[in-house]
Amino acid sequence: MLSNGKLKSYQEKLAQADREAKATVVALFATIAAWVVLGFGLAGLDITLFHTPLWVIGGTLGTWLFAIGVCVFLERRVFVDFDLDEDEAAADLQTSAEAGVAHE
Amino acid sequence: MNSLAGIVPVVVFLLFALVMAVLARRRSRAAAEAGFVNEYFIGNRGLGGFVLAMTTIATYGSVSSFVGGPGQAWSIGWGWVYMATVQVTTLFLLYGILGKKMALVSRKLGAVTVIDVIRQRYQSDALAVAAALIMVTFFATTMIAQFVGGAKLFEYVTGYSYTLGLCLFGIAVILFTSIGGFRGVAVTDALCGVVMLVGIVVLAGGILSAGGGYAQVMDTIATNHPEMMEPLSGGNMPLGLYFTQWLLVGVFTFALPQSVVRTLGYKDTKSLHSAMVWGTVILGAMMIGVTSLGVLSAGVLTEPLDAYGGSVDNIIPQTIVATLPPWLAGIAIVGPIAASISTVSSLLIASSSAVVKDLWLHHSEKQGKHIADAIIERSSLIITLAVGVAVFALSIVPPSVIWKINMFAFGGLETAFVWVLLGALFWKRATRAGALWSMIGGVAAYCTSMALGFKLFGLHQITIGITVALVLMVLVSLATKPSDEKTLKTFFG
Repeated sequence: MLSNGKLKSYQEKLAQADREAKATVVALFATIAAWVVLGFGLAGLDITLFHTPLWVIGGTLGTWLFAIGVCVFLERRVFVDFDLDEDEAAADLQTSAEAGVAHE
Repeated sequence: MNSLAGIVPVVVFLLFALVMAVLARRRSRAAAEAGFVNEYFIGNRGLGGFVLAMTTIATYGSVSSFVGGPGQAWSIGWGWVYMATVQVTTLFLLYGILGKKMALVSRKLGAVTVIDVIRQRYQSDALAVAAALIMVTFFATTMIAQFVGGAKLFEYVTGYSYTLGLCLFGIAVILFTSIGGFRGVAVTDALCGVVMLVGIVVLAGGILSAGGGYAQVMDTIATNHPEMMEPLSGGNMPLGLYFTQWLLVGVFTFALPQSVVRTLGYKDTKSLHSAMVWGTVILGAMMIGVTSLGVLSAGVLTEPLDAYGGSVDNIIPQTIVATLPPWLAGIAIVGPIAASISTVSSLLIASSSAVVKDLWLHHSEKQGKHIADAIIERSSLIITLAVGVAVFALSIVPPSVIWKINMFAFGGLETAFVWVLLGALFWKRATRAGALWSMIGGVAAYCTSMALGFKLFGLHQITIGITVALVLMVLVSLATKPSDEKTLKTFFG
């Protein structure tokens, strides 16, 4: 999981959330493509494994594993860990301002 | 014949869930420094990764997933399981698209419900009232389907009456939701999720044992119904059905308000990330697993549907009875009953929050009235109880074919909320009028086309509702004045 120490302001966090949402939509289309290829795509082959048609294994278990892989990829490469509660930049500014007042 | 062995696991499970709700309530009281409303309706935003994943899964996975869907799979074959697999996208769509932004915005606004967020984005009380009414109506429909499905299953497997089953878990779920609030619901949902998995494993053992092993079961199906081994199932699974199911139980599920509210309640981003990965692992195992059991039961229940009461809803109960001894059957039915009550409890607390928080409290605040926490607490309990009792009463005369009722409610909620939520969070030009027209116009188009049985290109009416809602959102938004800058700053920075 990425941890982005630079992501402090509320605006930056919103922008990151937007990036993650876009990446998720791409992940959806990738999963749909995998589902089509591993299911319908394999249905033309007359192959069975463990008494089960290959398209059933590909279209169900294969798609599931693909979706798990997508989640792991999003978690490790796209999603960023940040604090949801504090607007740290604002907090820093406030702290600096208070320090300024104290020095005067 | 009445089976005491069959009823004991159900009673033990319900008592255990009740105890967990009481404990959650005690913990709530200790942690309620942010106020009763924050604690009761959103659990003080304290859900960790595991509970977040399980409560989302248990809310999403209903008795329809355990009874109606697998029953249909018994009739259609592996194509139905292939279709059910699209549900593996639901958690990453919810958490990835809405998860962080809803959490950030709701914290900024102090919002504790989905309607709170919608109201503040569009600055519209009319939209909030419409959203609350639509939500409660479709939630009630879904809850009836859950009560009926659970009670029918109970009657079929244990031999006790439908009404006794309804009373037993109806009363239990209403009580533990009223007592435990959001935190209690989340914790009992996690328990239900685990129990659902146990139910699947037990039933799988029963079917494989009764059918002579996996290879034998598959060979029986291939011999009796070769079309069940094809994706289009000899025409029973048309491409149009795949397409609309992708929309109904895949792509648009992230807009279901009962799921979206969970993105307001988690603790930190680490919890969200781990819930996404582990939730997808568990949800896939559950949905693919339980639907596959429906197909495999065709290797055990080999007579035509009429021999099993003429309804696919009877297939899983019949399979349980036919393949398991009474004490194991009792354990197996706890799974679907857990699916039923976890969905009901989540919808009940969301309905209660819509009435108490989004309608009553907001109206009082606007009039400058302050309502004490003690009164809110009492009223929330009473409203939760009242909604539960109303739904319970409507379930006494059961409607038919659970999965269709469930899909109807899914379609209505998705139509109402998908563009309104996406517009709220991701499109600055979405306006109050656009959202209102989208929600009301979309739902009206959906319900009318459902009532008339009208379809376009043979596709499910969700396509009509979603399209009308989208067109209205875009056209009306572009034709009306944009939202004010101050409001937009909270949502777009």
